[in-house]
Amino acid sequence: MPPPTSNPSTPNGPAPDGLSRRSFLRNSALFASGLAALAASLAPLRHLNDFPSVEQFLQKYYKELTPEEMAKVLKRIEDEVEREYGLRPHVRDLKPMNGVEFVYALNLTRCIGCRKCVHACVAENNQSRTPEIQYIRVVRLPHGSLDLEKAEHSYNPELVPEKGYFYMPVQCQQCKNPPCVKVCPVHATWQDADGITVIDYNWCIGCRYCAAACPYWARHFNFTGPSIPKERLNLNMAYLGNRPRRQGVMEKCHFCVQRTRAGRYPACLEVCPVGARKFGNILDPESEVSYILRTKRVFIQLKEELGTSPRFFYYFDV
Amino acid sequence: MRQAVRNYLVFLWRCGRLAFVGDWRYYAWMGMLSVFCLLGLNAYARQFAYGLVVTGMSDEVSWGVYIANFTFLVGVAAAAVMMVIPVYIYKNEELHDLVIFGELLAVAAILMCLAFVTVDLGRPDRFWHLIPVIGQLNFPASMLSWDVIVLNGYLLLNVHICGYLLYCRYRGRTPAKWFYIPFVFIAIVWAVSIHTVTAFLYVGLGGRPFWNSAIVGPRFLASAFTAGPALIILAMQVVRRVTASAPASDAWRSSGQTTWPVANSRPATPADLELLCRHLPELASVSPEVRLAVLAGAIVLGAKTGDVFLRQGEVENTAFFVLHGRVVVKREEGGRLRVTRSLGPGEQFGEISALAGTPRTATAIAEEPALVLRLPAEALRKLMAAPKMNKVIRSRMSERLLITDRALMTLRSIVQVSMLINVFLLANEVFKEFYSGNLHVASSKYLFLGLHGHHALVPWIWTAIAFNLAAMVLLVLPVSRSLKWLNVTCVLCIVGIWIEKGMGLVIPGFIPTPLGEMVEYRPSLNETLVCFGIWAFGLLCYTIFLRMSVPILQGRLSKANEGQPEIGTQAPAGA
Repeated sequence: MPPPTSNPSTPNGPAPDGLSRRSFLRNSALFASGLAALAASLAPLRHLNDFPSVEQFLQKYYKELTPEEMAKVLKRIEDEVEREYGLRPHVRDLKPMNGVEFVYALNLTRCIGCRKCVHACVAENNQSRTPEIQYIRVVRLPHGSLDLEKAEHSYNPELVPEKGYFYMPVQCQQCKNPPCVKVCPVHATWQDADGITVIDYNWCIGCRYCAAACPYWARHFNFTGPSIPKERLNLNMAYLGNRPRRQGVMEKCHFCVQRTRAGRYPACLEVCPVGARKFGNILDPESEVSYILRTKRVFIQLKEELGTSPRFFYYFDV
Repeated sequence: MRQAVRNYLVFLWRCGRLAFVGDWRYYAWMGMLSVFCLLGLNAYARQFAYGLVVTGMSDEVSWGVYIANFTFLVGVAAAAVMMVIPVYIYKNEELHDLVIFGELLAVAAILMCLAFVTVDLGRPDRFWHLIPVIGQLNFPASMLSWDVIVLNGYLLLNVHICGYLLYCRYRGRTPAKWFYIPFVFIAIVWAVSIHTVTAFLYVGLGGRPFWNSAIVGPRFLASAFTAGPALIILAMQVVRRVTASAPASDAWRSSGQTTWPVANSRPATPADLELLCRHLPELASVSPEVRLAVLAGAIVLGAKTGDVFLRQGEVENTAFFVLHGRVVVKREEGGRLRVTRSLGPGEQFGEISALAGTPRTATAIAEEPALVLRLPAEALRKLMAAPKMNKVIRSRMSERLLITDRALMTLRSIVQVSMLINVFLLANEVFKEFYSGNLHVASSKYLFLGLHGHHALVPWIWTAIAFNLAAMVLLVLPVSRSLKWLNVTCVLCIVGIWIEKGMGLVIPGFIPTPLGEMVEYRPSLNETLVCFGIWAFGLLCYTIFLRMSVPILQGRLSKANEGQPEIGTQAPAGA
């Protein structure tokens, strides 16, 4: 640390001229080399790939944005995506529908572990290809056990189904009592009226406390800027859904809000070749999920003992 | 009002100047720390540009050494309270000045904590989202929001207490009790809260069985109260070694043959008081009657080089003022003699033990032929009845800056008890995990024994356990009463607890993942450099704090000597 240059208020009186000039020169040299060292140490900032613009930096919290401000933000995001990928997306702010609470039901008897849902999800939700971020993790479990510590994560999906094993896809369980929402220090993630826990990617500070809190390993972090092939970009985007994320923020499965809040099924359901996945409105007694939960003798919520109360149910053909 | 602000700014300016002056050792130390800071800054700039991908963290192990260091340092900060309690509640004067050093250590530790959490953020540019009112602090639901509040609150409390006490000492004022004692008591409760809240960060996560244990909070406190005072024991010895660096003359060596009392003595005369008054202008405010009364029983000693005025350990109620020549004060610490200060005309010594009736805490020897006025304690009290004299004498009670071996032994007993509790609690945890043998033992198995062929943490945790046990045994044995062994023990405590609490608690909580996947963690070089940088930054801050506070506590930097040549610019003594 360089000393300050000569001090005019030094009470011991002025030093002889030559001495003060020498010490002035010495101090200035020290000061300059200190500054140079500081500048050199900050040099990597030249490679900054996501410096926030003023609008990004000052953007208000999602729930505090007026409709006009939201419209501006959506337009800005469309501009940003267009600048980065050369394609103009359609970004909407989709609100939960009245009288709707989404529930997922997955038939473990049928699932063959092909992982088609994983890849459909990646394509639909504009997930980073390198580094790889996937919302769905399909694990292989030995026949008869639901102990996840016996789960095999790196089985070969070409060989499925294998004898003596069953397969279990795990994604965000959209808990009624979500630990991730409770721990977030800045309200960047919350549970909407339709039961979907969403993230404001522009508000998340990247502390990863939610990732530590989640018992389902559902939350995934952008350790660096995502890379998505331009030609694979899904242009149908939602603010709380599949718009491209940025470096340093959390993301996770949101039941494809860009689809489901517009009356469509999630991408993982549509691609499932064996019809293991069911999705719908639990508040509607006529819906498929209501029927399943009413008639199936056994269905389970993963890690039910933690009291998270998932809206994601696993059931069997019994 | 304007004068008060001006005085305060002069105080800050003079303190600030001190940070930039010192001897070559000081420059070398600060230069080295600055280099590490810059290396850390460089590594952080890289992380800022490319993202946390340059660390060893992953989706599987999403917190690493940053949070581990953070957790350890919150403990160090909390432990400052272990110095405060004996002083303010049990009135233990031995630790009095250590309190300020302890609190300054707390300030430095909190600054490091804040730096560690900041570098852990994925979006540090959005830190303002954490600020209440303008941001969206999720209080009280999120334990992290509690941590934001308690850490910053603790920082403010400690800055206020130390800053106020030091400024009062600088001004030679008696601190107003209402202005700091309430904060001291708040800080005591607060210190416990910062570490409990930090433990609750982990304990509150139901999905991580390794952390979801009620014993983590007590374990954190026990380990903090072991590592924190251990760190202070080491730091204080460094302080006392470097502050006692006035050039030693040959006086001490010849003192072996000198006699006590100094042979050449005569009753004091008014002329002697006139002489003293020249170096101690405040004496002029004492009325002639009082001066006359003071002269009764006052003696002037004419000493040759090496004559001893008072000896460490003696009980004897006289105080001394130097009239002419120089007197050196030496203290025996840990079996070695150290020069604590060198006094010139107008300065006093021996006044504390005279007033308090306690044994002499140091030995005073004539550094050159000297003339010294010796007063009985009652005479000193009479002089101090004059407000101006009272002020100057109190402000110069530099002997109060004592880091005695007894104070270090008090800290040792704190470390001793805490370490016993810490090891006991760890044993409890290990028993519960392994004896019940339920499914949730996976993380503990990974930590202590290795799991499914993964055992990166096994050598670490066993090192920690070995260190902790060795430290515990040493602490129980009388051998740790010797400073050499106490220092070894403290290093064992600090390293052992750093591993146990950092790598041993934060990392295994993530392994295996909640879905049973085994992914290990190893800090990257970049991440390590950032950590070194922050530690260097913390040491830099602490060194500067000590550099400023030691001369104030010694009375070498005070309002009284404003306008005189600054210390450090001429005296080679330096922190």
